[in-house]
This record gives sequence, C-alpha cells and structure tokens, in this order.
Amino acid sequence: MKPYDRLDRHALVMAIWTPSAFVAAILLHRGLASGGGWWIFAGFVAIIAAFVAHVIANAVLGAGFTTGERALGIAAFAIAVLSLLLAVLVGPAGLGARIFLPVGLGLISLVAVVIAYLVITFGARAAFERFDVIRDNNARPASRLPHRGGRR
Amino acid sequence: MTPLLLSVLIVLALYGVYIAAISARHEARPADFLDGGQALPGWAPMFLLPALGAAGLGLGPHLALVTRFGLQASHLAVGFVLVAMAALLLWNRMWYVARIAGLSTPGEALGQFYDSVTLRVTMLALAVLFALPFSANLLSSAAQLLERATDGLLPRAAGVWVLAMSLAIPAIIGGWRATIMTLAMQAVLLALFLPGSTILAEILAAAPGFPAVPIPVEEGVLWDRLPGVIQYSAGIGKEMPVAGIFTTVALSSSTIALLGIVFSPATLYLGQTASPGRAVGISTVWLAAGLLTGILVLGAPLLATRMADGPVALAAQFYAFEPLAGVGLIIMLLVGAMLAVTFFVTGGAILVTRELVIRYLFPDMSEREKRFSARVAIGFMFFFLAFMASFLPLMSAILGSVALPLAVQLLPAFLGLTFLRWISRGAVLAGMTLGMLIVFFTEPPGLILFEGLFVNLPWGRWPLTIHSAAWGLVINMAVVLLASAATLRAPDNLQRNRLHDALFQATGMTVGGRGLFWALMLLWGFLAYGPGAVLGNTFFSHPIFTSGEAALGIPSLWVWQILFWLLGVVLVWWIGFRVGFGRTSEEGIRTIELEEGTRRPPDWLAAGLSRVNGRER
Repeated sequence: MKPYDRLDRHALVMAIWTPSAFVAAILLHRGLASGGGWWIFAGFVAIIAAFVAHVIANAVLGAGFTTGERALGIAAFAIAVLSLLLAVLVGPAGLGARIFLPVGLGLISLVAVVIAYLVITFGARAAFERFDVIRDNNARPASRLPHRGGRR
Repeated sequence: MTPLLLSVLIVLALYGVYIAAISARHEARPADFLDGGQALPGWAPMFLLPALGAAGLGLGPHLALVTRFGLQASHLAVGFVLVAMAALLLWNRMWYVARIAGLSTPGEALGQFYDSVTLRVTMLALAVLFALPFSANLLSSAAQLLERATDGLLPRAAGVWVLAMSLAIPAIIGGWRATIMTLAMQAVLLALFLPGSTILAEILAAAPGFPAVPIPVEEGVLWDRLPGVIQYSAGIGKEMPVAGIFTTVALSSSTIALLGIVFSPATLYLGQTASPGRAVGISTVWLAAGLLTGILVLGAPLLATRMADGPVALAAQFYAFEPLAGVGLIIMLLVGAMLAVTFFVTGGAILVTRELVIRYLFPDMSEREKRFSARVAIGFMFFFLAFMASFLPLMSAILGSVALPLAVQLLPAFLGLTFLRWISRGAVLAGMTLGMLIVFFTEPPGLILFEGLFVNLPWGRWPLTIHSAAWGLVINMAVVLLASAATLRAPDNLQRNRLHDALFQATGMTVGGRGLFWALMLLWGFLAYGPGAVLGNTFFSHPIFTSGEAALGIPSLWVWQILFWLLGVVLVWWIGFRVGFGRTSEEGIRTIELEEGTRRPPDWLAAGLSRVNGRER
C-alpha cells in the first residue's frame, strides 16, 4: 500500500458523501416539513446513489468499508429509526401518519440495498456468515476443525 | 437566509481544514507539500478539471450573458468540447514530459526544453496573473454576491477578507494535495447543484419558461439565433454590434480564449502531478465534454430565464420553498468562484516558490525549508489577493481580463514541446511576444493605457467581434510558422529531438496520420462554432429541402447545439480512448536528462538575484 492510499480513499469517500448529504438534507427536510412523499423518496434516492458511488469507489480502489464507516452507517441508521419511532409516538399530531409510510419505506429500501450489496459482493452464504456470531462463539480450538462444523 | 448561509460556509471551511489536517498528518515527505509527491489521486483532477473549465467561463457571468443575449451566448458552451480535447492532448503529453525528463513544472518544462529564461519568466508572470488579478476579480464578485445575499450584513470588503482567510488556512496547512482533494469535493457539489437548481427552478415556476416562451432579452437582440458570421464593428466600447455580439467568429475566438484555462500554469501543474491511469480520459471525455457541456447547453438557457431578476431573487424564491435549497443556489455560485480562486492562488504560490525561491533565490534549502517557504508564499499570495479584491476591484477586473488570452499565446510553445518538434525557440519567442502585445492592445488594460497616455485608438475591445485571444494567436502562429521554417536546422533541435523520441517510445502515439479524425474534427469545428454554425439558426425549423416549416416547439439553434455537443463527445472519446490519449502509464518510460541550459539569465536579472541571495554572480 502506498503512503497516501488510505488518505486518498478517505478524501474520495468524503467527496462523495458531503455533497450527496447536502442534497439529501434538502430533499428530506422539504419532505418532512411539507409531508411530500415524493421529496422523501428523492432524498432516499440521493442517499442510495451516494452509497452506490461509495461501493464503486471501493471496487475501483480495491478496498472495503472501514470499521469506522460501518459503525457510522449503523449508528446513523439506528438514529433514523429511533427518530421515526419517536416522531410517531410523541411527535405533533398528524406528523407520524404523514411521514411514517414514506420514511419507513425509505429506511427499508436502504436495508434492501445494503443486503443486495452484501449478496452481490460476498454471495448469499458468505454474507450471512458475516453476521452469524452464534457459529463463532465456541472458543475451543477444536471447534475450528471442519468436521466439527468450524469454518475458520 | 443569512444565518443558514454563513453556517454552510463555515461547514465548507471546516471541511477544508479537516482534509488539510489529515493530509498534513499523513505527509510522507515535507517536499510533498509542494507537489503531492507527484501522485495526486486520479479522481481528484478528474473531478476538478471540468469545474475549472466552468470557472474559466465564469458560472455567474455566463448565466448573466445568456439572460442578456439568449441562445447565442449559450452557444459558447459547445466550445467546451474543444477545451476538453486540448486538455486531453496536453495533459497526457505534459505528464509524460514530467516523468521522462523530470521537468516537473510547466515553467521548467518550457524553459529547459527551449533553453530559454524568458519562457520561465513568462510562465511565472502568468502564474501570478492568474493568482492575483484574475482570482481577485472572481473573489470580489463572490463577495459582492455574498453581500447581496446577506442583505448587506457582510459588506463586500469584509466578505473578501473572510472568504480569503477561510481559503488560505486549509491551503497553508495541507498544501497541494489537500487543496486539490478539497476542491474535488466542491466540484462534485457544483455538478449536483447546477442541474438540481435548474430542475427546482422549473418545478417552482409559476409561469412557463424557456423553451415555451422566449428568453427575455433586450429589444433588437436575437435570442434564438446567431447574429451572423462576423459584424464589422470597431469593438466593444466603440460601438455595440446590432442583434448581439456572439457572431460565429466571436464564438470560435471566445472558444480559443477558453483554452487559456488549459494553458494556465496551475492547470498544467495539476496534470503533471497526477497519478498515472485513465482519469484524464474519463475527466475530459465524460465529465468535461459530456457532463459539463451537456449541463450548460441544456440547462443554462432554462436557469438563466428564471434568473432574469438576478440570482439572489431566485435564491429568495427557493428559500421560501425550502431554506436549504435557497442557500444551496448561493453556495453553488460562490463555490464556482471560490474553487478557481483557491486553485489559482495556491498553485500560483507553489509555482512561484519552486520557480523563483527554490530555483534562483535559495537553491540549497532543505525539504522542510522548502515546505515552509511554500507556506509563507501561499500566505502572502492570499494576503495580496484579498488586498486587491477589496481595495482594487476595478484594476483586478481590468488586469484579470487578459489572463486567459495571454495564456493562449503559449499554444505554439506547448505544441513544440509536446507534438511538433520543428518549432524553434526563436520562433516561439517572437510569435509569443507579438501575440501578447496584440492581446494587450485589444483588451481593456492596453486600450485604457494607450488612450489615457496618447490618442484614442480606432478599435475597441474585440474588434470585428473577434476575441483578443484569436487576434493574438493568428499573428503568433503566422510568425511561428515562418520563423520555424527558417530555423529548421538550428543547433538546439538535437535536445528537442531527444525528448520527442523518448515521448514516442513511451506512448507510441502521434496525432499525425489520422486523416479521417482530423477531417471530421475540422468539419465539426466549422459547423459547431465556426462559420457553419449560422446554419443552425433555421436548419431544423425551416428545413432547406422543403418549403414548409417544422413545428419543433423549441428553437432550431438549441437542437443544433445539442446535436454538435453529442457529436463532439464522440470525437473526444475517439482521441481519448481509441487513439489512447486518455490513459497515462509508467510502463515504457525511459528517463532522459536534458542538458542544463547554456544560456544564462540576463545580467539585470542575475544582478537582482545576487543582491537578494547574497551570492556571487
């Protein structure tokens, strides 16, 4: 790896996400403020487009998502889900009903895109195994043997 | 809008500081501050080059021209295809020149190849011209827009200093690599916001706009057609051509002027410091010729129509609908100018450091000292920039007007360096001097100076609606051709041949012997923005093969522009990917060392230098 490779990749990822996040913020804010489902849909399209561009950048540079990026993505998604639930439960009357369906569908579409990416990149089995911690929780060395079901 | 607008500007500034800080932390060698280790990631110049093209055109001024003159002004965007092609050919060859002969700045390349101190000094002067008056003019316009957008809360002069500070700090911290990576993000921002603003303006419009209704130009101006091939006008300032200034010769000569952005020292330096790969091809073919030209050809007439009352009025309309969208429109126009300012000032300061401070004043500096001197130079350059933009805006505008046409006068010199080995030093110098003089006296600085000191000249700016860049280049090329023919056997051609042989060995490519391509290129140029472009006025609305009219619903000229934009992309793709100029590779490079010049600097220059650095001549 050359000295600047990590820096260059990080800067590229930032160059993809910063303008896209600005555009997504415009569209989502408009959608949430006015209740326009199509604006919310366009906002999620902007996020998905940035994700696809990120995946392409990874493929071109021969890299994967870093731990920090994964953590940030999961945290942002969790905050979005939590915010949606709070908006429905304790938000102003009518807000939840207005935004629940478009935002919910948007969040589900994000999950679908991430799953599609994992399946395309790693295959269905390997993608599942990346989350399959139960098979990984046996600390005994013997568990790693193939005939004992180990896969490491 | 003010708090939100300032908040977004602060976020942009912090982004620059963040990238600069991590770039400085990762710096492998202190000298990398000046050139990014000659390995800038390919994606950064790839995104940046089209944005620089847009900056050369001037996003705000271009939209204002389209509002004033209609589709005849918008036709200028088709010329971006030629800019993309020039960038493709020149960047490819300059990259190889840097790797083969170790000539890592444009001034060094020209100076050593032609063994000419004058060319080195000329490149240095051009770097300063782009860094100070040209950029100061852009910064002043940006600050003026900021003043209007904040209802006077941030006056123009204060805006200039605030913007200059926010641009200077990241550049001083991070150097060349960080600057280019930050600007690449701003280029992506532009690429998203330009079409986005156009679409939003159409969604929000209460009444139909272009092409359903004409672009609201002044009476007498032809909004939907070109006003002829040429107009026998003495020039702007003496008399205004009827029906608009954008005749086909005005368009083709303005396109030549646009090439100045490619020949500017900082842009060439960007190409020389990029990593090898296909980025140059993707950038020029798909992003510059394809995306940027397409956005401008298709979107500028629509956006300009909606911007008839000025950008701030449209931003206010956006803001009422969605606050972030209103701010986004202002940010788009600001970024269009700030991007060019940061690039030319940082690039200019680094080139001054390399070409003057390191080469002549203190050649024995360590790497850390070189980095420090570059930081000091960047700081000073931004200070002078802010000084000029805030206190000398008119002088900046006047002097800045010659930057692009003067840079174009280096075309023969670069042709000699990269393709035509028979172009000699004497020819280049004679042609360039005459060309630059002609440019000077057909642009405001020369006209104002001469008319102030002596008598009124019979011509104004751009006589016969021909841009000063073309006036200068025609004479320049004529002199170069004649003088080169007389100096074919000059003794300095051995050095030139060595570099050209090594270039051919490394690339295996020439642009000669491709008759079909050049025939199509000439035909395309003639019809796209040459005299043949007048056919587009009525070609699709009143077809020549029938007496009837075609009810297109859109102006014939617009269809013509779209058609020749698409055909132009094919031509750039051909030279980029079929011929192979879109790719650079370190394979096959055989390094050579050009002999140090036998010519010594002029006595007055050497004496001045020895006084500064204290060394004997």
